[in-house]
Amino acid sequence: MAERNIRFNPLRLRRTQKGRRRRSNKLRSIQLIITVSFTAVTVLVAVIVSFMLYNKFARTAEANADINMQQIIEQVNYNLELYVTGMSKIFATAEAQITESSSIDSPLLSERMDTLMSSREDLVSVSVFTPEGDYVVGTPGLILQQNTQLETQSWFTSAKKSPDISYSAPHVQNLFKGNYPWVVSISKMIVYRKDGRTREGILLLDFNFRTIDELSRQVKLGKRGYAYILDSLGNIVYHPQQQLIYAGLKYENVEPVLEYAYRSYMDDSTGEKRLITVRTLAETGWKIVGVAYHDEIVTTKRDLNQFLFWFLAVVISLVVAVSVLLSWLIASPIRRLERTVKLVGEGDLHTPIEVSGAYEVEQLSLRFNKMLQRIRQLMDQIIYEQETKRKGELEVLQSQINPHFLYNTLNSVIRLAERGKTNDVITMIQSLSKFFRISLSRGKNFITVQEELDHIRHYLVIQGFRFRNKFRYEIKAADEVLQYQTIKLILQPIVENALYHGIEMSPDEGFISITAELQHGNMVIRVTDNGLGMSPETLGSLLKGGVRTGGGSGVGVRNVNERIGLFYGREYGLSFESELEEGTSVTIVFPAIPAEISAEPGEEDA
Amino acid sequence: MKNGSMRLKALLGVSLTVLLLMGATSCSSGPDGYIGTERARNIHMIVKMNQGDYWNTVRLGAEAAAQEFNVNLTFKAPEAESEIDRQIAMVEDSIKQKADVIILAASSYMGLAQVVDQAAYSRIPVISVDAEVGSARVSSYVGSNGYEAGQKSAQRLIELLDGHGEIGILNFTKSSIGSSLSGGAIDYGARDAEEREEGFLNYAARYPDVEVVQISYTSSSVADAERLTREMLDNHPHLRGIATLNETASQGAGKVIQGLEDQSVKMVAFDSSPTMMEMLQDGTVQATVIQNPFSNGYLAVKYAVELSEGLDVPERVDTGTKLIDLGNMLWPENQKLLFPFVR
Repeated sequence: MAERNIRFNPLRLRRTQKGRRRRSNKLRSIQLIITVSFTAVTVLVAVIVSFMLYNKFARTAEANADINMQQIIEQVNYNLELYVTGMSKIFATAEAQITESSSIDSPLLSERMDTLMSSREDLVSVSVFTPEGDYVVGTPGLILQQNTQLETQSWFTSAKKSPDISYSAPHVQNLFKGNYPWVVSISKMIVYRKDGRTREGILLLDFNFRTIDELSRQVKLGKRGYAYILDSLGNIVYHPQQQLIYAGLKYENVEPVLEYAYRSYMDDSTGEKRLITVRTLAETGWKIVGVAYHDEIVTTKRDLNQFLFWFLAVVISLVVAVSVLLSWLIASPIRRLERTVKLVGEGDLHTPIEVSGAYEVEQLSLRFNKMLQRIRQLMDQIIYEQETKRKGELEVLQSQINPHFLYNTLNSVIRLAERGKTNDVITMIQSLSKFFRISLSRGKNFITVQEELDHIRHYLVIQGFRFRNKFRYEIKAADEVLQYQTIKLILQPIVENALYHGIEMSPDEGFISITAELQHGNMVIRVTDNGLGMSPETLGSLLKGGVRTGGGSGVGVRNVNERIGLFYGREYGLSFESELEEGTSVTIVFPAIPAEISAEPGEEDA
Repeated sequence: MKNGSMRLKALLGVSLTVLLLMGATSCSSGPDGYIGTERARNIHMIVKMNQGDYWNTVRLGAEAAAQEFNVNLTFKAPEAESEIDRQIAMVEDSIKQKADVIILAASSYMGLAQVVDQAAYSRIPVISVDAEVGSARVSSYVGSNGYEAGQKSAQRLIELLDGHGEIGILNFTKSSIGSSLSGGAIDYGARDAEEREEGFLNYAARYPDVEVVQISYTSSSVADAERLTREMLDNHPHLRGIATLNETASQGAGKVIQGLEDQSVKMVAFDSSPTMMEMLQDGTVQATVIQNPFSNGYLAVKYAVELSEGLDVPERVDTGTKLIDLGNMLWPENQKLLFPFVR
């Protein structure tokens, strides 16, 4: 009823509440819960694992790249140191030869210088100048140019200033005719002899960039990484893109490099993150600077990143697909079951439930099916019982006015009247009248035990005239049982049976005893006769309706049993004991229920 | 049921999007300025001629950029600056070969205009280097300001002459509209030559005592320049100064002046070749106006790459000019400009 109230309630509020509830129910559906939780857990785990792996690998890759780069730069540094040492050795050789030579003009010295020149490809020129800047001697074959302004050049000034070997920044050597090579100059004040006198002069050796280039070209720091060399003042000695730097098209941030002799740091002055490693040559103060591009160092990182990304994408879509499928597999039988049960709930008890799927769901549907079957059975039974009850009542109704019985009785009355037995006629008519009165009882189904016993007494009186006192009877009942209620007309068919089948055929005088008593809260009425008795077969078929009382009231023993069973339950009813030639005893048991105190006293007989 | 499945899909969509975004942000960490070098581009560079230190240096710059940006550089040039038809044919070839970008140093301002329009029609961008071309379809110009260079040259020469005297100019590829129609070939002058001359003359016009007595135009051989210089000296015995406006002219004139017994003729040259440096050092030539050929070549290729990447490039890139004399030629920053770094 409450459900119906909600359904027919015109208020909008209720309806929206219902809608919201339905939506939240959908959100709590098994499929969604399984899918979401399964996906969430798997994705979370995959993501966490991936990130941990990523971090670990990335860090290792970065560390490896760093170490690798430092090793390469170390190597270049070492090679360059060897090279610079080589240059200074050549310088020392040249110096020794010039100093030891008896005269700077000697052909022997010139020859030696020639040998020295040809021994090294990267040696461009050897020459000696006076401290005033005048040319003394030089590599044979070279002609000095005019307007060289050599006094202002750094190799000249630094040689005058310091007694050590000085290394110049790269510069264009303009001393000799023919070309203008880019060189690094090594110079020092030395002593030489000319015309037998010891003089001071500046020895100059020019080296080109061939060897430095070769050394530095080997440096491979990833695809785009490179190494360059700075002198102590920050001039670029060597750079793989020296032309671009000189043309002002490229720029190298050298200030942070100059501050340290030995260092690794991240630089992003060019807009790109670059790892810079600096080493310094002890002798010249030159700095080797390795430049590696951070994004190349992290190439492995990016590859890993990409791999993990695709891996995650595949895993997640797989997980989603699997979880959707799985949850569908689990949820769909349940949902089908739910739908069927809903149909059943709506009243269609004949809906077959055939849900296959998980074991539990199958069992559930099986059990539910059985339950449904049982319900159907009970329903059928109720319908059957209702029908039987109605039929029994109809039979009782019929028996209330049994024309055959009435005809026989009236015949007996006529015969008595013919014989002038007025008293008997009166008794007969009185009994008949009371018999019918109780039979009808205003259509009530239940009467008191007293009324039932009265009813059977009147019946026995009437039958007594018909059977011409062929039997005797006895009705015994304690006073306390009389006010209990009983279904009406339960004794008559039994007594009728006893008379027609037990006593009528018997040669002896019949005796019928009727007792009513209370036993353990039950009413027990026993009808005993001393008639022919019944065979066990007859006894067995008695309650199945096999035996009909011919010419009786028409209400069978079976009917009595059925009615008691229907009203009080199947455990109540009739039981028979019988032995051939000895008689039959019928026991009626039903619950003792006190009769409702009826308004009318039932003493209307006049 | 529909409601539920829709919700499910929405949820999946959201989670996938989140993942994709995570992936995208962690993957895209490339710098903005970096030019991708995955695909090799075909860039054709067509200059005025295939000889001379100037064009070699342009080529060096272009090749440096080509190496850096993964470019297949095709370098083409006619034998001489005057072979305009040859240059037009080369541009047409490049269009046929479907170059990604064409870099052109036009020998003739008007002569190459039509073929540049044709390239633009074929959706091939064109970048001018050194000398402009008379087409509005050119994407960018990389080079020096010729007018300014001419003025610098004039200023120095007039200083050297103390503001009076006769001056001869040796220029190249004369613009002779209407005068050479008989030859059949289109013979419009090169833009850079015109600009330099104009700059020089405009500056010289401020000095009433300075008289430009002759302007000669050489084709592109040193011998021709030598001949023209001698002619000029013969025609004008009082000539006190010569200005040459390109490399070949400078080398020819320098040789003639070097051979003169009396070195009273002052000369301001153009561009820097090693021989010119020697002349500067031995005093034959008093000054030279230099450009930045290496930068021109490099930047032209670099911008060509950026163009083919669909990036915006500046319309004009002035790589600058500088006046070099004996006094400043060995300054470190000038050394770097004057002498190409050859290992």
